[in-house]
Amino acid sequence: MNTPAARPQRSHGSGPRPPSLGGNLWTLLALLVLLGLSAGSALLELGVFNTVANLGIAVAKALLVLTIFMRLKTDNALLRIVASAGFAWLAVMIALALADVLTRAPLLAPW
Amino acid sequence: MNARLHPVPEQFDDPVQQREAATLGMWAFLATEILFFGVLFAGYTLCRVRFPDAFAAGSRHTDMLLGTIETAVLLTSSCAVALSVREVQLGGRQLATALLGITAALGASFLVMHGFEYYAEYREGLIPAVHWTQQGVYAKGMEIFYCLYYFITLFHSLHVSIGVVLLIVMAWRTWHRAYDARYHTPLELTALYWHLVDIVWIFVYPLIYLVGRAG
Repeated sequence: MNTPAARPQRSHGSGPRPPSLGGNLWTLLALLVLLGLSAGSALLELGVFNTVANLGIAVAKALLVLTIFMRLKTDNALLRIVASAGFAWLAVMIALALADVLTRAPLLAPW
Repeated sequence: MNARLHPVPEQFDDPVQQREAATLGMWAFLATEILFFGVLFAGYTLCRVRFPDAFAAGSRHTDMLLGTIETAVLLTSSCAVALSVREVQLGGRQLATALLGITAALGASFLVMHGFEYYAEYREGLIPAVHWTQQGVYAKGMEIFYCLYYFITLFHSLHVSIGVVLLIVMAWRTWHRAYDARYHTPLELTALYWHLVDIVWIFVYPLIYLVGRAG
């Protein structure tokens, strides 16, 4: 089962170095502040910028969770590629679907 | 199983490679999860472009205060599970178990709060095809909003439920010394899953609760 390794074993503890306690807690604080900003800005009359602000803040929050809590910042670069691929395909799906809906003139029934 | 007795399977060179393979596999799974929820978000986007006023009217019927509290609860739980993985990496056990318990409890409280929301919506007649009492020009569009609302939040709650069970299992195993600084991959993968559930909710919150709140 546990045969002697042909190559020298890498022996550091599994995973990237754990982020500091302060780093995690500051991230949580930033996330909660952003949540407050999101709720507050939604109550202001900003027109289309309500949606822009809400989605922008959501993206900022997601990036904080991805980079700090999920450790994409310090972990293997391959993981960053796979994670980016997931979001990239999602962007393609939404962009193509919207392109169809926003640019097509409705055809009237011929009868 | 004691972490110290955990052998490296023969297909891997060393524990580092084993962990890299496991996290890569988990991220591939998470990418499919992004697309799973992505379809629902894409559907939401198209319908909202088509019925902007009805979506705003529908969103105003949701409970913004409860939605905000739920978001804060999930964000806090994400931090707790991240700290738990950190604690195990640093060799701790009791605090790590407690943090996992807190995370699971926060997840369960999220489900309870959402249950109250569903009950309030049932009483208000906001469940399409089951109990729908809305009238007026926006009633049809609101029905579409609420269909998407139930699909998105119920699938999300299903993920939260699975996450809570996984977290309880991880807490049990951590307490029984299954994981230590050298080997804790299952705990790390569970944390990744929980963070993704959190990220999905980060986008659900503005799209469901915050539309048309001004004025």
